[in-house]
Amino acid sequence: MNRDADDVMTDEEFADTRASLGLAVPPVTPSAAMKDAVMARIAETPQDAPQPAAVAAAIEARPDAVGPVERRAQARWFHRPGSVVLAAAAAVALFFGGVLSADLVNPAAGDAQQLAAIVAAPDVQTVSSPIEGGASATLVSSETLGVSAMVFEGLPQLTEEQAYALWYITDGEPTPAGLFSVGDDGTVVQVLEGSFEAGTVVGVTVEPSSGSPAPTTTPIVAIATA
Amino acid sequence: MSPETDVSVSAPSALDAATDLLQRVATGDQRAFSELYDLITPRMLGLVRHVLKDHAQSEEVVQEVLLEIWQTAPRFDPNKGKAVTWMLTMAHRRAIDRVRSAQSSRDRDTKIGIRDLGREYDSVSESVEIRIEHERVERALTKLTELQRQAVELAYYGGYTHSEVSTMLSVPIGTVKTRLRDGMIRLREELGVAS
Repeated sequence: MNRDADDVMTDEEFADTRASLGLAVPPVTPSAAMKDAVMARIAETPQDAPQPAAVAAAIEARPDAVGPVERRAQARWFHRPGSVVLAAAAAVALFFGGVLSADLVNPAAGDAQQLAAIVAAPDVQTVSSPIEGGASATLVSSETLGVSAMVFEGLPQLTEEQAYALWYITDGEPTPAGLFSVGDDGTVVQVLEGSFEAGTVVGVTVEPSSGSPAPTTTPIVAIATA
Repeated sequence: MSPETDVSVSAPSALDAATDLLQRVATGDQRAFSELYDLITPRMLGLVRHVLKDHAQSEEVVQEVLLEIWQTAPRFDPNKGKAVTWMLTMAHRRAIDRVRSAQSSRDRDTKIGIRDLGREYDSVSESVEIRIEHERVERALTKLTELQRQAVELAYYGGYTHSEVSTMLSVPIGTVKTRLRDGMIRLREELGVAS
């Protein structure tokens, strides 16, 4: 959206004023069938996970926090249907099994800072997905930076022999993007190794702590990007 | 003339329930969503149809918005704004996206954005509360200069871009931007809504 052309119609400072203009229009009664249709659709539509505290903190810390950029970023994840994630999960399950060149190194510290940099990028994209068992994963990425980070909440700890593995899947080709473990609080901010490209799928599997040449388990989550 | 005195006018509203409902919806409560639907859908449909004109298309857009509300309710932060504003913003954005993407609709009557809102009341019976709120906004709009009012109405209700408004009102684009901003600032003062 061209910010310059829409200033006053998108500025946060006029949000309530615009809403007043909207509410000044006489209400229109929807058709009776519409409610049934909507209720049926929400019954089978998963809800987004709440925004992870780590992502919220990174947004708050930005110099231009609560600006139109953030609103645009929100608009993007608002539009991401849950079915995309499910389709992505199926795609990952299908393609995992190929041979991988393994170079699995646990990324160094400083991930929170990198997350802040990604969140500040003008083309930041944020997609969340629940993980079975109550945890959540949020992928924050920027194509111009070529970087992405995964933020997990409520992720269970693994045994000492196991590690979580990240994968970039592009055109069906999985590329290892790092191993990580989880502390007591289940919260992880992990910058992916390698270059992020729009359209790639990010998957997470549980592997032996030494890493695997190829994913050996079904992904616990897979997130598609646009 | 104190805008503060106006604030009390809008104080108790049926829409105040929206925030509580939305927070219940955020926990996956479908019954709360049903109540929220009854509360907000006629308001969103009124706005979207005012922009789009076509009833079937407007219902389609509002259904998309409702689904989006359901999906993203867990992301709503009541500390950052009102639930009603959040939902109306989504509906307005989608209506504008739709009207701008459909080039065929560009032959819309150029007066669409600036016609009298009140006329549509004839066919709809409304609660006193909605009437009062409507008149409050109408009154606030009369406090704007003619050019400010036209720019605001064309941009908000018509979804026209700055350059389109510039052409329609035969004023330079820079003037449109200034009048729009001045108009919105004046409206905000008149309505006593602090953002």
